Order: sequence, then C-alpha cells, then structure tokens
Amino acid sequence: MLRHYLTVTVRNLLKHKLIAGINLFGLTTGLTCCLLILAYILHETSYDRRVPEAERIYRVTRDFYNPDGAATLQLSAVAPVVGPLLKNDFPQIEKITRLLLFSPVVVRHADRILTEDSLMFSEPAFLDMFAVRMLSGDARTALSEPNSLILEQSAARKYFGDQDPMNQELKLDGRIACKVTGVYQGLPENSHLHPAVLVSFSTLNDSTVYGERNLRTSWSNNAFHTYLQLPAGYDARQLEAQFPAFLDRHQPQNKRATDYVRPSKMTALQLQRLTDVHLHSNRADELEPNGDVNRVYIFGIIALFVLLIACINYMNLSTARAALRAKEVGVRKVVGAQRSEIILQFLGESVLITAVATGLAVGCTVLALPWLSRLAGTALPPQLLWQPAVLLGLLVLPLVVGVVSGLYPALFMSSFQPQQILKGFTKISGGLAFRRVLVVVQFVVSIGLLVSTAVVGLQLRYLRQAPLGYDRAQIVTLAYPLPLRPQYEAFGQALQQQAGVQALARSSRIPTGRLLDASDAAAGIGDSLRPTSANVKYLGIDEGFLPTYGIKLAAGRNFDPKAFPTDTLGFILNATAVRMIGWKSPAEAVGQAFRYGGVLGRVLGVTQDYHFESLHQPIVPMVMFLSSATSRSSYNYVSVKLAGGNVAGSLQHLERTWKEFLPDEPFTYTFLDESYAKLYQAELRQTLLFSIFAGIAILIACLGLFGLSSFAITQRVKEIGIRKVLGASTSTIVMLLSSDFMKLVLVAALLAFPLSWYVMHRWLQDFAYRINMPWWVFPLAGLAAAGVALATIVSQTVSVARANPVKSLRTE
Amino acid sequence: MIKITNLEKTYRTEDVETTVLHELNLQVQEGEFVAVMGPSGCGKSTLLNILGLLDDPDAGSFVFDGKETVGYSERRRAELRKHAIGFVFQSFNLIDELTVYENVELPLVYTGVPAAERKQRVKEVLDKMRIMHRRNHYPQQLSGGQQQRVAVARAVVNRPRLILADEPTGNLDSSNGNEVMDLLSELNEQGTTIVMVTHSEHDARYSHRIVRMLDGQTVAENILT
Repeated sequence: MLRHYLTVTVRNLLKHKLIAGINLFGLTTGLTCCLLILAYILHETSYDRRVPEAERIYRVTRDFYNPDGAATLQLSAVAPVVGPLLKNDFPQIEKITRLLLFSPVVVRHADRILTEDSLMFSEPAFLDMFAVRMLSGDARTALSEPNSLILEQSAARKYFGDQDPMNQELKLDGRIACKVTGVYQGLPENSHLHPAVLVSFSTLNDSTVYGERNLRTSWSNNAFHTYLQLPAGYDARQLEAQFPAFLDRHQPQNKRATDYVRPSKMTALQLQRLTDVHLHSNRADELEPNGDVNRVYIFGIIALFVLLIACINYMNLSTARAALRAKEVGVRKVVGAQRSEIILQFLGESVLITAVATGLAVGCTVLALPWLSRLAGTALPPQLLWQPAVLLGLLVLPLVVGVVSGLYPALFMSSFQPQQILKGFTKISGGLAFRRVLVVVQFVVSIGLLVSTAVVGLQLRYLRQAPLGYDRAQIVTLAYPLPLRPQYEAFGQALQQQAGVQALARSSRIPTGRLLDASDAAAGIGDSLRPTSANVKYLGIDEGFLPTYGIKLAAGRNFDPKAFPTDTLGFILNATAVRMIGWKSPAEAVGQAFRYGGVLGRVLGVTQDYHFESLHQPIVPMVMFLSSATSRSSYNYVSVKLAGGNVAGSLQHLERTWKEFLPDEPFTYTFLDESYAKLYQAELRQTLLFSIFAGIAILIACLGLFGLSSFAITQRVKEIGIRKVLGASTSTIVMLLSSDFMKLVLVAALLAFPLSWYVMHRWLQDFAYRINMPWWVFPLAGLAAAGVALATIVSQTVSVARANPVKSLRTE
Repeated sequence: MIKITNLEKTYRTEDVETTVLHELNLQVQEGEFVAVMGPSGCGKSTLLNILGLLDDPDAGSFVFDGKETVGYSERRRAELRKHAIGFVFQSFNLIDELTVYENVELPLVYTGVPAAERKQRVKEVLDKMRIMHRRNHYPQQLSGGQQQRVAVARAVVNRPRLILADEPTGNLDSSNGNEVMDLLSELNEQGTTIVMVTHSEHDARYSHRIVRMLDGQTVAENILT
C-alpha cells in the first residue's frame, strides 16, 4: 500500500512539474528561512548558558534617579565597595567577583608594544564562577598575588609567539609590571564578555594603580562589573528587596546636598540574571554590545510568516489541482477505498513533499549559514542545529508542516462523491472561498512585510543622514596618552605644519560615544544661584574642540584661555541645558553665574544643540569646560580634522609625527565616520536581513499566485472560448481574469495597512529622533504587490485569451 | 440477490427539486444478467449508483444478499463494495497515473490481498482479458477497446458477485463493443450477476432480461432467452 502511494505521488509530481516545482521550491525556501532564523535564535538565546551555574549567577547593576524619581542613568557596573559589602551583609551569597575593564591600554613586552582592548582586573573567583579552563598555570593561585596576570591563548600568542609565556613580564600602561602566571582558553563566542588579559585584582591595591583606600570607600566609580552566585533555588528578588536598606546603611550622605536625602531615593541596585545579560540588558558601560530580544522576536515572526506563506501555497495549489485528481478519488472510492484511506494518501503526499523539502532545506541551510553569519556579524556554526532537540524537530517538522498544509486539501478531495465525478462532472467549485481567504492572508503578510521593510529602511536612512549639528567628515580620533600631555603644544604645531591637517582638539569623550558623567549644577537666575533639577552631563574640551567639529555657537564665545586666563572657570552650555535650566534664550544665559561640581564660574557661550550621542538617545543638557587643575575632567582623546584630498598622505604625516613624539606609544587611530556607522550597525544588519526575508516571502507568495491563476485559467478555458465566440476582445478577457485576483489583493492591502501602520508606529517609538510615518509607503507597497500579482496573472492570461476559441471549446 | 422496494430518490438544488426515482421496485436473482434501458434522465444511472452503494435512497428498501443496506455507514458500504461489487463505466475511468497492471491491482490493494497473491491474480485476469502484453502501458497509450478491457479486468479482479456496468460500450466502436459484451457474457456464464445500463438494444440482447424505465419507475420487462 505504501509503495503504491509512493508511486502515485512521484508520478503525480512528475506529471505536474510546474506545480510540484512551485510547492517544493516554496516549502524548501520557507523551511530554509526558518532553519536559518532558528540557528540565529538558538545562538542569541545560548549566551552564557555554558557557564555551569549560569542560572544562579547574577550581575549587580545600578540606577540613578532624578529628584523626581526618573531614572537618569542605568549602569551595568557598580562601585568597588558594593561587592565586598554585599558579601559581608548577606551570607547567602556564595561567591562574588569583581571585574574592572582597563582598556584600551598599551601593553609592552620587550620591544613589542600593543594596544589591548579587553584587559580586565579580576578577582580569583571569576575563574571558578565562569568555569574558565586553564591551559597552563593553576586557577586557584594564578590571580592571587598582586602584579600577576593570565592570558587568553590568542593573546599569549600575540605577545609571545611560540615562546612559553609563563613567568614572563608584561608592562601595562608603561608603569604596571606584571608576571604571566597562566594561560586560559578564551570564553566561547556566545558569552557576553571576552577578556583577553586578566590581571589580579590585588594589583589595584597599589595607590599608583588605583589604591586600596579607593577600593574600600568609593561609591562613585561605578566601573566595577560585579557578579554574585546565589544558592540553588534561592529567589533573587528576596535579596534585591534588601538592597535599599543596604544602600541607606552604607552609602555616605552627599556632602553638598542641602537637605538629607536617603541614598536609596537617589540610587538603586538590581540583580540581573547572567543569562539575561545578552538579550535583555542595554545599560551604559556594557562590556560588549549586547543583542536585543526584540530582534529575536521579529525574526521568529518573519520565519513563521515565510513558512505560513509556503504552507498556504501548498494548500492552495493542491486544492486547485483537486479537479485533476477528482477522477482518481472517484475510482478509488468505487473500488472500495474508505474516506480515511484517501485522506491518509493525500496527507502522506504532503508529508513526503515536506520531508523532501526539509532535506533540501537542511542542505541549503548549511550552505547559507556562513552567509548569514557574515550578514548578522556573529558566528553561526551549523553545529548550532546539531542538537538532539533540533534534530528531533527536523524529524517531526515534515509531519507537522505536511499535515498543516495537507489537511485541508486531503479533507476537501476525500469528500468528493464518486457517482458525480465518474459521470464527468469534473468541475470542482468547492474550496474556492477558502482559497480566496488564503490568498488574502498571503498578501496581507507580503504587503505588511513590504511596508515594514520600507519604514525601517527610511528610518535608518534618516539616522545616517540626519543633521547632527557637527561635522564628522575626515575626523580622526586618537588616544591622549600621559606622555603626550607635557608636549601637546609642540605636537599640535608639528602636525599643523602639513596642509592636510586642518585643526585638532582634545576632549574627555568623543561624539558617537556616550555622555555619562554628571555632577551637581546650580545656575544664576535673577540674583540668586539656584540648584537645577536638570541632570547636566559634562564634557571636558579644549578651545580647539568647537572649531574642529564645526559646532556652532548660538550665543557668546568659545574658550580662549590665552587671551582670558579666567576661562578655566568658564562654562559653555548646549541649548538644551539653557532651556531646561530655565533661561529664556541662549543670549540671556551668557554671562550668568554657573556652578558645576563645586566650581563657580560664568557662562561664556551657548552652542546650538548637536547629537553627541547616537540618535537613539535624546539630546541631553550638557556643559563643556576646559580641563584644569580645578576641574574633575581630564582629556582622553585627540581629534584631528583632516583636509579632503590626500587623506592617506595626511595619515602618514600623523603617524610620523606621533612616532616622533611618542616612540613608546602604539599609533592607533579611528575615523569618526566609522565609529558613527557602528552606532547603527545592528539596525543596518537587521534591515538587510529583514529585506531579504521579506523579499523571499513575497517571491513565494507570487509563485503561489502564479500557480493558482494558471489553474483558475485552465478551469475557465471553456468560458473564455464562449465569451470569445460571442465577441469578447483579448483585453476584456484579460481584465475579466485578472480582476478576480486583483480584488483579493485590494482586500489584503486594506487589511495590511492598519496592521502594519500599528506595528511600525510602535517600532518607531524606540527612536528619540524618528521619521514621521511616511503615508506614501502604504499605497506604494499595495501597488507593488498588485503590480507583481498582475504581471504574474497577465503573463498567463494573455496566451489563453488570444487562443482560438474553437480549440478551447473542443477540449470539453 | 437484490431486492428493491418502493425506492425514492430526489435531488435538490437551492430552488429546484427533481424526483429521479419514484416507488421503484426491482429484483435480481443470483447469476442473472439484467439490462436496464430507458430515455436519458429516467433514473437508470441513479439506480445503478444506489445498487453500487455509491448513493443513498431517500426512502424505500434495498436488500442485498438478504441484508438491508439502507442506513449503512460509509465505512460498511465501502467494505461491501470492495468485496462484492465491480464497476464498469462508459468512460472507463482508469487512473491516468497508474499503469494497466497497477490499475487492475488497485482493488486488491484496498482489500489487503498479499503482494504475491496480487501479482498472480492480476496476471490471471489480464491474461483472460488478453491485455497482458500491455500491462506496463499507461491508459493514454491504449485504444478505447483496450481501456475498457482493462476496466473490466479491474472490475472482476476481486471476484465480485455483482458487476454493475454503466453503458460499457458507449464510447466504443461496434467491434470493440462486441468484444466487451462477449467478455461480460462470459463472466455471467461463470456465475457473476450483472446489471447493465444501456441505450443499445443490441447490447441489451446479451442479457436475460430487459427492464425498461421511465420517469423513475420500471414500466416494462422483457424476458429474453
């Protein structure tokens, strides 16, 4: 019986190659999309799960609040005191470890000088909690002594080549000498952190490095990533509930504050599950850019949509084809087949086709994974799919998809009454309404995907092209190492001797980065100095900063410490700060008294607003001041504005000058344009993938329409013949045949518009700066879908409409 | 073997009601060859469908082999059909995707006959119908007469006790038609009961008895010898 069904299935497929091809192609493509997206989702959700006690490990995070209770800062790290105090107060904490990122930092071995991007100070417990595998050295002692460090294996190769790194010396930042006490295997790719060098935490006790006292007392340096492990089955919320009291108990009162405010009103600590870090955390100072759970959902939904469209094709084409197989069903029933046997036969067919498609899809997936890895910017090895659950899924998949797509056609065809069919009534009119619904569903999804792709693309174009308020072209940023400080003037002069260098500036942070540092501010309004509730962020800049970045002043003037030495007590605000403080205009602010972080001075100028941070963030109030003995800020970066034209030559000049002044510092530069592009890389990748999958969905839907319309036409050949005999022209017949389908596309468009409007409206809300919903995208997407559908149908109708009616009438 | 009493059948569409069979009575003995004749629309085919358990009467009784079949479930009707009844149609109704051999084998597949026995029985019946040499051909590759011989082979391969033939020669020329009628007679002589609907007086003469129908009722019977 099985062999018999198999034979019939294969012969049917071969006989109707076009339909079989469309079905097989659609299902294979749909399943391939699903498997690719599944691999991506599995990868994204696998982060940090390799850590043995991952479910019990939490990261301590910290929020800061305005007086009105709004969160102004959400940090992924906490102050150094928090870890030991937590361990002391809460005995239920089994283990705790702190990490301090100390990068980029110059690391030197003999004459080899390299910049290390991922060097961290680490407590010994890290190795145990994160199950770091030592390749040499002893995990228990490797990080116990001050000035010892362990290297990730590729870092070991980087510094020592084939030499044995053990007991060799590395010098960090030109001052901290450390001995190599171990080499470890790097953390897997799906880990939220990848330290290349781990330096013993006790090294920080040295006051020239950080200082034991600071470690013990600092509540303000929230740079210590702190992880703790709780007992199995312990509810982390129980511990979290005790954190406000913990803060009130330990955090000293703010000395400058006029009234006593409990620390727990201004700041809070939270516990974040280790396995939530990658997908659910997007805090300031994350160790690495994280993923986004919404992206996982979006792609999951797209995968289901593509598969749904492919299944619908199968249902549609099989049901449409029913007329051709009606006689077979009739004969089978006459010779004694039960309805259940007919249902099983047709279900078997769809399961078989799906099984073949699944096999092909697995092959396509393996071939396409490297491509997806490149697009997604993460490694997606095929091994992701070789896990028991997925393999079992692959076995069940043909059954599920086959039954889902085959059930309706099977029920429909098995219901044929043999006595009618065998008398020659082969025109099967049933199922038409259902097929129409299915076509509408396909086009709702297709049009929705078209609209979404367009809106996402437009928003990203807006982000890339939006006026930022500063000029990012041809700006190269460099580090500002200690040895450069005393000779910066001379360095600048040497650089500017070449015409290719237009301007240079120093600053504490550079645009495209975050603005995280804030202090208390008070502004002169009327006669008095009033503390401001605005959370004003600060940026240390020199007099070259505004001209180098082309930032325009709305009022007042730039710093000029040579002409006015008191400018070291001056402030420049941005327009947002002026507005939030309460001055009526930038001009009114100029000359007013302003106190920031304990320094009292005057407002010298007000800049127009510019997007220092990415366009995901709203423009925050900010204050800029010169770095000086009295200010807390120091410069960390040099920005160099190059002239257009010979950029390569200018870079060579830059490097020569750097080497001349700083022979011991590596020359590492970044174009600001690149940093800017990185801000939107995730979205750009997402849009690209989104467009590709949306395109595939539409392609499959149109293939289905192609098959369906070709069948509809076959069914109506006689009608067309009669109409032609009665005088209908080719064009009226094409109109007649197309209008049926076009009506469906129209209905689909009317359904898709509000749905996609709602979804995209929600998506846009995530951007501080966004486009207005482009209304024209909707009719355009509808027209595009209708156009493709029409082309598909017309390509088939024309030949039928032109055919000699005598022929078509004879076919009956 | 067959006893039909007061059979009623009406077809309804949305606004038209057509009575096809009205107080129809008919008996067929085991081993008989009955021809049913009458003008188009008199209900011949509907009668045949009911005899073949493909259709249900609205009222009346249909006793097959002493058992009342009216009210049988779809499942029981399919069971009875596949074991006891064979069909021959005017338009042959062979499955285009199956070869001659596979078409004839089909009823045996559904009755669950083991493969080895199937092979032997199909060969037997194909030999008898003189179509063995064409066993690997598809229906489209055969002439009308050959196709009908395959259809007859399929109808008898399960050794049914009743064959229902609906204008078996309607699509055939006279020589092919005669050949098929000879085959049916031969089967009847070997004991198979046959009920045949036909328009052809010539074919009807192969039977023992002609039942004439008009407007859903039997109006006359001619006994032939």
